[in-house]
Amino acid sequence: MTELNIPGTQSTPTIHGDWPAGVLAMQGDSYPENSFELFGQVIDWVERFLREEARPLALELRLLYLNTSSIKALMDIFDLLEEAHRDGLPVSVSWHYDSRNERVAELAEEFREDCSFPFAILPFSE
Amino acid sequence: MDNYDLLAMREHYNRQRIMLCFNGPISRSLIEEIGNALRNYLAAEQAQPSAAMDVFAVYIEMTQNIRHYATRMNYPEQDAAATVSISRDEEGRYVVAAGNLVELDDGRQLVDWIANLAGLDKAQLKAAYKEQLRRPRDDERASGAGLGLLDIARKSSAPLRASLKEQADGRAFLSLRAVI
Repeated sequence: MTELNIPGTQSTPTIHGDWPAGVLAMQGDSYPENSFELFGQVIDWVERFLREEARPLALELRLLYLNTSSIKALMDIFDLLEEAHRDGLPVSVSWHYDSRNERVAELAEEFREDCSFPFAILPFSE
Repeated sequence: MDNYDLLAMREHYNRQRIMLCFNGPISRSLIEEIGNALRNYLAAEQAQPSAAMDVFAVYIEMTQNIRHYATRMNYPEQDAAATVSISRDEEGRYVVAAGNLVELDDGRQLVDWIANLAGLDKAQLKAAYKEQLRRPRDDERASGAGLGLLDIARKSSAPLRASLKEQADGRAFLSLRAVI
């Protein structure tokens, strides 16, 4: 099982892990009551990719509102990337946000403060 | 019981500038549905996207805290109830308030903790938030609500307010109020 496909709902993001391409994409709002039911499998996927592959892994994010439990889960994912980066693995994050909503940029910026791998915060306008 | 004074309720809500309120057992899907209604109201009022997101976030953290607490305490469904209101104050700022029944000791602990938060500035709140974020999941505060409350405090433009009213059954009604 190298494909990861989790359809989004009102309160959970759409998640797609493309193993051959080395891309993990997540988009939408994330405020489930129990973020671990959702992100546990994403964390497993990232851990496995970093363990088995020496290729680049890129996170493509268009996440919007995250509740604190999702923030905690996402921090765990970034911690895995940070560890991999220190071991010399090529990892990166691109977080795209609607330029009308600065809150999303601020949220991404707070994550970036704790990361030393390439982490881009990119505005788009509709 | 055949004559609820709906007009008095309506006048009370209008006077308090309450946009949306709820009282009763609260489920996961109800939190989402009320959240939807809230987002629609905020969009109709043309709130800034960032302000709308803050109000929504505070609403979600408060109500999910209440659900988590009731689950952790194994409260039966009628005790897993919440009283929630979203209104605007005289200056037009959004006010999110939520209340629920808690064990008296838990309530006291939480009220003290929230009183301490009032003395922290934005930078100190951020530091406390980041520290809480890094804490292992099984080592959350006794209240279990630490991270959510710190997030609410950071999104508020005035210190969080909490009050506790003892009830006959040894529990207490905890009210939280955040001004965004």
